[in-house]
Amino acid sequence: MISRSLLALLCVAAPAAAELLPFTDAEVRRILSHGPWPMAWMPDPSNRVSGNAAAIALGRELFFEPRLSGDGSVRCASCHIEARAWQDGRATAAAFAPLERNTPSVHNVRFNRWFGWDGAQDNLWAQSIRPLLDPREMRSNATRVARLLREDAALRARYEAAFGAAPPDDDEAVLVDAAKALAAFQETLVTGRTPFDEFRDALARGDRDAAARYPLAAQRGLRIFIGKGNCSVCHFGPNFTNGEFADVGVPFFVARGAVDSGRHGGIRALKASRYNLLSRWNDDPIRSTAAKTRHVVAQHRNFGEFRVPSLRNVALTAPYMHNGRLATLHDVVRHYSEIDLDRLHTDGERILQPLHLDAREIDDLVAFLESLSEARAP
Amino acid sequence: MKRLLAGALLAAADLCGACEPALEGAPLARIDSPRHVLAFRTEPARIAVGEHFALLVAACRKDDGRPPPELRVDAHMPAHRHGMNYAASVRPLAPGRWRAEGLLFHMPGDWEFLFDLRGDGPTERLSYPYRLE
Repeated sequence: MISRSLLALLCVAAPAAAELLPFTDAEVRRILSHGPWPMAWMPDPSNRVSGNAAAIALGRELFFEPRLSGDGSVRCASCHIEARAWQDGRATAAAFAPLERNTPSVHNVRFNRWFGWDGAQDNLWAQSIRPLLDPREMRSNATRVARLLREDAALRARYEAAFGAAPPDDDEAVLVDAAKALAAFQETLVTGRTPFDEFRDALARGDRDAAARYPLAAQRGLRIFIGKGNCSVCHFGPNFTNGEFADVGVPFFVARGAVDSGRHGGIRALKASRYNLLSRWNDDPIRSTAAKTRHVVAQHRNFGEFRVPSLRNVALTAPYMHNGRLATLHDVVRHYSEIDLDRLHTDGERILQPLHLDAREIDDLVAFLESLSEARAP
Repeated sequence: MKRLLAGALLAAADLCGACEPALEGAPLARIDSPRHVLAFRTEPARIAVGEHFALLVAACRKDDGRPPPELRVDAHMPAHRHGMNYAASVRPLAPGRWRAEGLLFHMPGDWEFLFDLRGDGPTERLSYPYRLE
C-alpha cells in the first residue's frame, strides 16, 4: 500500500507529459528544410588535397604549429581553440595586435560560400593564408612557411605524403600548399547532431512521441524563428545560414572616424586577391566553383553588411555579432526584438522589424537556439 | 488566279511574321508582351536557395518574328526592395537565344525575373514572378 506522502512525492517527481505543438503543414515544411544533418560532404575541387588523409594530418599539425608565425609564438589554434568550439571567447580577436572583428568558429567551414565576416575570400585555403600574412595575426610570410616545411624533417615527410613530392623551390607555391593542407584539416571539423536534429528527424518520419521529447520552450521558440521572427529567411537550411551578407543594425564604427565597411570592402579585397578562385592557384582547371567570384558585384547596400553566420553550436560561441558586442544569446534576441531601424542602412532589407517579444518569448527563442548546439563535454 | 496569289502572299506574310521563341526544352514560363514573346527555363530545373543557376532564354518580335538583338537579365525581391548579390552574364547562343549565368537567389520568398529586350526601338522590360520556398 502506497502511503499518501509517497504518492505525493511520486506525483512531484513525475516528468511533465511530453507535448507536441500543433505545427501546421507549412511550419513542418520549414522545419524539415533545416535538415538533415550532417549535410553531404564533397571535396573542394579548388584544392587538390581536399579529403586527402595525409593532407588532413599535415593540416592538423600545421594548425597547432607556432613556428608558422613571425616570432614562433602564435598558432592558428591560439585563436581557434578546440575546447572553445574553435573560437576564442573574446569579443574581438588579438594576437600580435588587436583586431576589430570577432574570431569565428571554424566548425562547418567546408559548407561556406564566402569566408571571413566580409567574404573577402572565396575559398578556404585563401582564408587560411590571410591570417598567416596579416602582421596583426601571425605576422608570417611565404619564405618562413616554405623554409619550415623544407627543413623540418617530420613536416617535410608529411608534405611529401600529402602532395606526392618534396616542397618545390617556389616559396609562394609552398605557402599555398600549406594553406591547402590547413583547409583539408578544417574541412573535417563538422558539428555533431543536436536536440533540434532529433526533433526534426522525428517529425520527418512522423514519430510524434519522439518529437514530443523536444522541450516545449524550444518548440515555441522554433515557431517564432520560422514565423513572425523571419529568422529563417537568412538563417536558412541545414546549416542555418544562406551563406550571404546582411545589415542587422550592428554599429560598424571601429574607432573615432573609422568604420568597418564589411561586405563592401570585402568584395573589393576579393577581386584584388591573388589567391581567389580565378587565380592560377585554383587546382580546378574548369573553375567549377568560381561562378560566384565572376558574378558578384559590389553594391551600395553592401556597406555595413556582414556574413550571416551558421547557428550550429551557437550556444558554445559567445560573444556574438561581427564585433562581439553582444555577450549572450539573450542579448542577441533582445537586439533583434527591439531592433533600431534607424541604424539599418538606408537600403537595408525590410525583413527586420522590431518584434517587441515578451520575456517568455525571448526565453523560448533562446531555448530553441540552445537546442542547435551539441551537448557540452562534461 | 489573282485571289489565289493574294492568299499565298498572305500566308507567306503570316509565316514570316510568326513569333514562336525557339527555346530548347520545356519552358518554365512564356511571357507575352505588347512587342515580344519570350520563353525561358532554368538550369537546373529546380532553383534552390543559395545555389547558382542559369537561364536559357528565347525571344522574338511580334511584328516581324525577328529576334531582338540584345537581352539583359536580372531578378529582384520587390517587397524587400533588393536584388541579387550577383550580376548575371548573358551569352548569345544563336539569333534570339541566350544563356544567362551567375544568378543566385539568396533567400526564400517572392522573386521577380526581369528581362530587358533591346533593339531598334525603346527597351522593353518583361517580368515574371517566381515564389521560392
